[in-house]
Amino acid sequence: MLRLKVISGHLSPGSPHTGPDLRATRCGAAAGGPGEDVVVVHGRRTAIGRAKKGGFKDTTPDELLSAVMTAVLTDVGLSPHQLGDVCVGNVLQPGAGALMARVAHFLSGFPETVPVFTVNRQCSSGLQAVLNIAGAIRSRTIDLGLACGVESMSLQSMSNPGDLSARLSQNPKARDCIVPMGITSENVAERFGVCRQKQDAFALGSQQKAARAQSLGLFEREITPVSTRVVDSDGRERQLTVSRDEGVRAETTLEGLSKLRPAFKPDGTTTAGNSSQVSDGAAAVLVGRRSAVEALGLPVLGVLRGSAVVGVPPDVMGIGPAYAIPAALKQAGLTVDDIDVFEINEAFASQAVYCVEKLGIPMEKVNPCGGAIALGHPLGCTGARQVVTLLNELRRRGRRAYGVVSMCIGTGMGAAAVFEYPGL
Amino acid sequence: MIKVFRSPGRHGYAVEASPFLPNRVACAASQYYGITGCGTLLVLDETPRGLVSVRSWEWGDGLFDVAWSEANEHLLVAGGGDGSLQLWDTANQHAPLKVAKEHTQEVYSVSWSQTRGENLIVSGSWDHTVKVWDPSLSRSLTTLRGHEGVVYSTIWSPHIPGCIASASGDGTLRIWDVKAAVCRLAVPAHQAEILACDWCKYDQNIVATGSVDCSINVWDLRNIRQPVNHLLGHTYAIRRLKFSPFSQTVLASCSYDFTVRFWDFGMNPPLLDTVEHHSEFVCGLDFNLHIPNQVVDCSWDETVKIYAPACLSAGSSAAQGAQADD
Repeated sequence: MLRLKVISGHLSPGSPHTGPDLRATRCGAAAGGPGEDVVVVHGRRTAIGRAKKGGFKDTTPDELLSAVMTAVLTDVGLSPHQLGDVCVGNVLQPGAGALMARVAHFLSGFPETVPVFTVNRQCSSGLQAVLNIAGAIRSRTIDLGLACGVESMSLQSMSNPGDLSARLSQNPKARDCIVPMGITSENVAERFGVCRQKQDAFALGSQQKAARAQSLGLFEREITPVSTRVVDSDGRERQLTVSRDEGVRAETTLEGLSKLRPAFKPDGTTTAGNSSQVSDGAAAVLVGRRSAVEALGLPVLGVLRGSAVVGVPPDVMGIGPAYAIPAALKQAGLTVDDIDVFEINEAFASQAVYCVEKLGIPMEKVNPCGGAIALGHPLGCTGARQVVTLLNELRRRGRRAYGVVSMCIGTGMGAAAVFEYPGL
Repeated sequence: MIKVFRSPGRHGYAVEASPFLPNRVACAASQYYGITGCGTLLVLDETPRGLVSVRSWEWGDGLFDVAWSEANEHLLVAGGGDGSLQLWDTANQHAPLKVAKEHTQEVYSVSWSQTRGENLIVSGSWDHTVKVWDPSLSRSLTTLRGHEGVVYSTIWSPHIPGCIASASGDGTLRIWDVKAAVCRLAVPAHQAEILACDWCKYDQNIVATGSVDCSINVWDLRNIRQPVNHLLGHTYAIRRLKFSPFSQTVLASCSYDFTVRFWDFGMNPPLLDTVEHHSEFVCGLDFNLHIPNQVVDCSWDETVKIYAPACLSAGSSAAQGAQADD
């Protein structure tokens, strides 16, 4: 009711201005009534391993994926027959791992009648998988789907750009797409004046928050332990179970960070300590239409309220969240002030700091359990991992609240999604 | 001595004193607090028996503002929740003379021009536009676009022909040139919605704005970098404000905080008095042009009250006393 809303606005100063915000627009997943909401039922992730050194260095991504796919369905007691579709975000496997995903599907004991597909939107692939499943639910193609993300950066590298036209060199924007990610971070730091001290302080914060979360056991509810094997340097195979994130360094100090040499250019500010880590991991999120979810007696952990993917200049791709977050918030009819927790991927401290400051987000709302600088950034997995971490954090806080998941995307984009935790 | 009119089931939104008859006021009121339901336009006369209704009309949607014609004592225009303006004649007790529906959302303000040689109506709407009409309401003469939010208040300059001030939810006060159909000035007057504005009757450059931020800003349009006065005291949004017809620096404001406050921004402190005689939001307010210091207000508490606030009377008697001393 517009009049009631306008007058309520008069009584709570500081509320958003009138205009577009005031219109009672149906937005996001809310269109069509609460039964049509796209909701998250449950999510799990693997621990995040250090690429080429950690516990998953010899584990194929189908195994990582299978571990979380199985865990999510087992946790909620859902038969895989009920799934309308499975979408897997992946970046580095050939063809975004279409084959690998179907293999994982069968390794998980899923029936052949359930389809699976993969999506590659670079660092947002895991979130894009959630949004693809949400889109299929909204278009009434399916009622329930599994959105996943997986990456083995141990077994595949980012070095192969694929086949590109020679004309790329004549087109500045196209040329910017092959600028190394570390250089895009230096560009952001230079162009927007994010100094080394700020980057290192942010990186320290990420490590400290992650260490705290780890020591309090906050990740135990979201991590599925994975039993696997590693080949030691002397060629011996060893069995082990990975259940802790391997990148977290509680002993990190500002002094130590400040001593690190720039990793991408001699006079730069981006170092191994204030960048995300190269990692292996997987995550899976069960998503459904609220009416279907409730009919199956499944819980509602979160409600998707809005999402957006926007383009930005490729040579400063890290600024993506600064544009994607407002677009997603607008769709949800919310403002930065309405959000309790922001999970903003820490590809680099430079771009994360820039986005947080640009949007005026209080730092204490950002990545309360640490981010990719401490936990690692398995490219295709990250978006789904953030959704799992966000909703678990909101659940711990207990009260109805909103959270945002966002990340920058190589070649110049940003993605963001707004979730509501409905409260206990 | 307060005179009270009760309008059961009708919540006051605007009250305006007749420019012709010293004892007559018009009140726009709405059912169900104006959230839904219909509206009533009342014409009230102050008589020895008290404040009595001499005419009332029903309208199918809430009525939010009313203005008397400056040319014909029988005519008045009201703005409604259905986006319509209605022209009413006190001699005609049935239907409005004319209904104009061009606004696509609630009309929240109407004002009748006061300058000589000009007889026009202006309306402000939640559809973000300001429209100027000839007094027959045949078709709008101009639509002024520019506000990026709901328009809450539109007032003709009492001095400058073809000049309108408007206040909006977009946080700006805008000054419009009707002949050129352009916005001459957009003042970011508050960091919040602005619900009210009015022109000083003695200085063509002075405008006051009242906002959801609980403050009143007084502006000199020749230098809009900062307000010439910032009046604090209300504890909720200011819903309407009016300059005194009798004193250059006196103005009155009414608010969602249930109070009416009187200010003299030439004084320190500027707050003269706080009148707390309503039990709901006070939305309508006007000075009587004929009887110095008489004020009328209306509230969501279903009452219209006519009174002479002591602070103004005291001021005038002091002034008179000073003159007597000379």
